[in-house]
Amino acid sequence: MAPEVAIAVSALTKNYGKVEAVRGIDFEVARGEVFGLLGPNGAGKTTTVEILEGLRPRSGGEVRVLGFDPEDETMAVKDRIGVCLQATRLSDKITVEESLQLFAAFYTRSADTTALLKRLQLWDKRKAYYTTLSGGQKQRLAIALAMVNEPDIVFLDEPTTGLDAQVRREIHTLIAELSDRNTTILLTTHYIEEAEQLCQRVAIMDEGRIIVQGTPRELQERVIGKSRVEILCQNALPEGLPPGWPAEDAVHFTPGRCQLVAETEYPARAVVELVKWVDGCGAGLSDIHIKRPTLEDVFIELTGKTLRD
Amino acid sequence: MKPYIAYIRTTLRLTGRERIVIFFNYLFPLAFLIGLGEIMGPVPVFALVLTLNILGTGFFGAGMRATMDREAGILRRFKVAPITPGPILVASMVTGWVVFVPALIGFIAILNLRYHMPLPPNIFSLFVFLSLGVVAFRSMGMIVASVVNSMQESQIIVQLLYMPMLLLSGATIPLTIMPDWLQTVAQFLPSNYLNLGMQGILLRRESLAQNWQAVAALVATALLCFFVSLKLFRWEKEDRLKPSAKLWVLAALLPFVIAGAWQVYDRGNLRKVQILAHQARRNVSWLVRDARIFTGDRVIERGSLLIRNGVVERIYEGDSPSAGDLNAEGIAAAGKTALPGLIDAEVVLAMNAGLRPGSMKDVSAAAENALAAYLYSGVTGIGSIGLPPQIEKLVESRFVSGEKLGAMVLRSAVAPAQGPCRMTELSFSQASAERAAGDLSLLKETLVEEVAPRALLTRLESSYRDLEPHGAGVPSLETAQRSIMAARAHGTKLAAATLSGTALLVHGPMLHHELRLLVQAGLTPLEALRAATSDAADCLGAPRAGRLGPGADASLVLVEGNPVEEISSTERIVEVFLHGENVHRGALVEKK
Repeated sequence: MAPEVAIAVSALTKNYGKVEAVRGIDFEVARGEVFGLLGPNGAGKTTTVEILEGLRPRSGGEVRVLGFDPEDETMAVKDRIGVCLQATRLSDKITVEESLQLFAAFYTRSADTTALLKRLQLWDKRKAYYTTLSGGQKQRLAIALAMVNEPDIVFLDEPTTGLDAQVRREIHTLIAELSDRNTTILLTTHYIEEAEQLCQRVAIMDEGRIIVQGTPRELQERVIGKSRVEILCQNALPEGLPPGWPAEDAVHFTPGRCQLVAETEYPARAVVELVKWVDGCGAGLSDIHIKRPTLEDVFIELTGKTLRD
Repeated sequence: MKPYIAYIRTTLRLTGRERIVIFFNYLFPLAFLIGLGEIMGPVPVFALVLTLNILGTGFFGAGMRATMDREAGILRRFKVAPITPGPILVASMVTGWVVFVPALIGFIAILNLRYHMPLPPNIFSLFVFLSLGVVAFRSMGMIVASVVNSMQESQIIVQLLYMPMLLLSGATIPLTIMPDWLQTVAQFLPSNYLNLGMQGILLRRESLAQNWQAVAALVATALLCFFVSLKLFRWEKEDRLKPSAKLWVLAALLPFVIAGAWQVYDRGNLRKVQILAHQARRNVSWLVRDARIFTGDRVIERGSLLIRNGVVERIYEGDSPSAGDLNAEGIAAAGKTALPGLIDAEVVLAMNAGLRPGSMKDVSAAAENALAAYLYSGVTGIGSIGLPPQIEKLVESRFVSGEKLGAMVLRSAVAPAQGPCRMTELSFSQASAERAAGDLSLLKETLVEEVAPRALLTRLESSYRDLEPHGAGVPSLETAQRSIMAARAHGTKLAAATLSGTALLVHGPMLHHELRLLVQAGLTPLEALRAATSDAADCLGAPRAGRLGPGADASLVLVEGNPVEEISSTERIVEVFLHGENVHRGALVEKK
């Protein structure tokens, strides 16, 4: 196996009795890459990740994490990875600093805890009990714990689920920062924006299978759906369409004709055409939105379901 | 090693931050200690609080806590770290022990300062034994945590183990008052071994080696539970355990099933329970207040006697502090007289009132009953003659161990001392003459009727003529009494001796009769009392007996009235103490 491959999974299956949680999946994550596993609850993401982390045996297939088999060389794998669980909970009365020191003692390699605390903006809180931390601080601590051994791979299992928008942005910045340091990250999420924003490559899972994988751009391009351009005007637009408007691109007007929505494969060119037309009509341009197809659209397209339930 | 040290350090810190830990390990037992210390006496209350502590730390401290941590999802985070459950289990043991040690030291200090409990003699054995107890019970708690699937299950199993173990430990309710089958059940419970070992070490100065069964069972339990919990350890509540895995709890109880089976066969523990009950009673402090005190040498008209740990600690002449101030049980004794335990210098244990038991086995049983009858009658020491030495040893061992209660054998199977001592033997002379005359009035004395089995008396009445002969040349009572007075005139020491056991002389109370005969012969009551206490002790070569003074063995009799004026008062016994134990006299003689 090439050393630049951090995670290699082929034909992985996992059954719980008669329930097939994972039904033969293949993917690879390169070193330094941020890879997203996307899918609704129950798609098999967590099971897959737990197999990679050495927490569960697999039913079939091949798995290599940093060149180790997590089932047979569990401790070697655990020693070199960092994990941020979906819900981390620590003892109420352990302090931030103590928890880092405790976990640092479990690994052969350990990060400078002072630097780690400062980087995660927990330095002022280092003497605070876990129970007094805010949700965001708790999650930052969970991420700090995942990095306490200077891991080669960080697993982030739904790191922002249940957090408010502000905190979620904070965490996103953190992850982006992490990936700048060339750390391999495997992120599971059911937030589309998260995957689009943070991941270099994404695999979408549903019912134990990977239904599609690639860069977010590649996935979007696979969708037949077009970008939507929305234009808002102060005055009503005249009847008809802009001159030379391609017949295959549909344009819908709202009643009163103060707003139009155009569907097009070439949003940039469409915007130029539309703005010229609106200006020419003297309708008074007040706002423009361009909506590209999202991973959500990809998912709906491929499964006929929505991601969030 | 690094994960172990880090986990232990963190667990200790977290434990120190829990108020509930301080409460249940220190304050709660302290309340028991202060509240029950005076009622129960220092050693039983010590055993009680330590049992509460160790069972509590095991089942609630280790068992419930570990379940709670798992249920709350705290353990889950450790699952993804490269560690085994080892550090978590070891940290639990170490923490339990570290929390326990200050409690142990604190309780000993309080009991020593406030209740005058002597510092435990085998303190090293005690420390090791109790530490072992903490580890074993914590490991039992861990195994409970390993097999339950929820807090509710944990609570049920913990209560099912905790309550019976606490109630049948012997530390809360004396096992002796329980029905036989419950006492047998207790032999299968680790808590009973914990309590017995602890009390044995405290009260009988036993070592670890003498408690090897308890030690072995605790060590085996600790190891078994530790490895089974290691195997069954679960990091998350979602990891459920098959119901059949719960049977592992039974495996953890295996060492005590074996120990219990052995006890059912051997019954050694049940004997030890009896012994310990006596020992515990010996450690109660008593203040006999405002009594007339005959010390064996002189009379103190009003004084108080402080008894602690089996010896006379102090005699206050005139006024004394209150019993409460001395942390002792008070006995109001105005109008009563305290005497050293009486001594009958010659008794024949091989028979009773002239009747011989059938077999050797009966001889030792009869001798044991006889010694109990002496104690009942206020006689705490006897000089035995004519009993085969091997039987005497057998009998003595049961009394020395404290398994049975009875008068001490002050001198064994040696001919009575001659020279400066003279055995009085007046009752013997009288019995010899009355038997010849067919007079059975010696069997009609009050104390005789109280101590002698009904069957014995009936048999004596019907067949007194067939009794062992007194032998030729027994002097008449009058001759004997004159001879005593002559010896007294020569300055010979007199030792009151009845030769009870010979025809018509029932074991136990005849010494009181002898005292009356001595006064009748012309001795002052004080001289007669000396002959039955200090002088008898000297003649038997047991100078530590027969006297009351600081440091003396606290074996004494409290009687109504003033025997210095009216010698028959010695029969009006109120209390008997043997080695500081306030003896239940009623339990000494067969009920009729």
